[in-house]
Amino acid sequence: MFALTLNSQNLPYPDPIHPIVVHFIAMVFFSFICDILGHSTYNAHLFEVAFWNILVGAMATFVAIVFGQFEAGLAQVYSVVQSTLNFHTLIGWSLGAIIAAITAWRFMIRDHLRRAERHRNPLKLPPGYLGIATFLICLVFLQVYLGSKLFWVYSLHVEAVVKVMKQGVSP
Amino acid sequence: MNSQWIDSLGLRLGTNGLPYEIPMHPQLVHLTLGLFIIAILFDIAGAIFPIERPIFRFLGLPAIRSGFFDVGWYNLLGASIVTFFTVAFGFCELLLTNAPINQKSDWGLNASWTLLLHGVGGVLLLGVIVAMTFWRGLQRYHWRKGASRQVQWFYLLVGIVIMGILYIHGTLGGQLGSEFGVHVTAAKLVQEGANPDLLPK
Repeated sequence: MFALTLNSQNLPYPDPIHPIVVHFIAMVFFSFICDILGHSTYNAHLFEVAFWNILVGAMATFVAIVFGQFEAGLAQVYSVVQSTLNFHTLIGWSLGAIIAAITAWRFMIRDHLRRAERHRNPLKLPPGYLGIATFLICLVFLQVYLGSKLFWVYSLHVEAVVKVMKQGVSP
Repeated sequence: MNSQWIDSLGLRLGTNGLPYEIPMHPQLVHLTLGLFIIAILFDIAGAIFPIERPIFRFLGLPAIRSGFFDVGWYNLLGASIVTFFTVAFGFCELLLTNAPINQKSDWGLNASWTLLLHGVGGVLLLGVIVAMTFWRGLQRYHWRKGASRQVQWFYLLVGIVIMGILYIHGTLGGQLGSEFGVHVTAAKLVQEGANPDLLPK
């Protein structure tokens, strides 16, 4: 076994990387906003923006899962935190699959709109897509809430709490 | 701010020093940074499009050059709008800060200096992002309208420099949370000598 040298936040690198990668999952939310605006204003530019943004979000999700698992493994999880962390982990992995599937659907819609462009008014999205995307955004918001709670309430990887835990004091 | 000053506001504050459970500024920051960075990266991808075209062909992913510039423009516009709220919440939460005074960050700054630099830098960066949006809009709708490369090289260079400044600025903000424990509930409990395991689930 090799030993990692951990800093005052119990990490082998200066700052947690998971919350940094999460910045790019926020693009899933921006994609949804662009789809809604594009759908209601018949703007093809916004559809293109929505597609690329959800693609970025889907790619970032996998990176976020990897770093999330790594940093969760290095966190000093005390008893009240456990259920929130479990829930965050479960939704995180589920989102990996759900965002990938919805991105694939968005890709097919884009393909379809491009082919239909010459024939008829192509500037509408299937209502089913918007419905599923609304569900996805709710799930993302729940996930953001749980993740924020892990840091801002339970203070995982926050120096003051890491210090206390290292001294072996309960929690 | 000192605790007397904060008390005189008459707000019902939680352990984290805020009238609500989770600070809003760090949530909005994800949109500001994500949108800005993606905007610049897609403009770069648009500018060097002839080089990367074989990659997209190989991936079977149809890409149009103007689509990348659409992302560059609309994401930056989004960043501009969101950042007003980011800075507004940032100020609100900064004024409610009661940071530890006897501690230094990894960069050798104390909490007050970190707060001051992050606060002033935030206002300046809001100005910079809005100015970049105007510049980008002028290129899109006037100066380079119809040009195959919608952005000036100098614009991309400035964008990269600002990403570097954002990195430094964001790290200062991150240190406020993870090192000084500003508005972090369990860290506040620990600093007061209480046990965070008593927190509600």
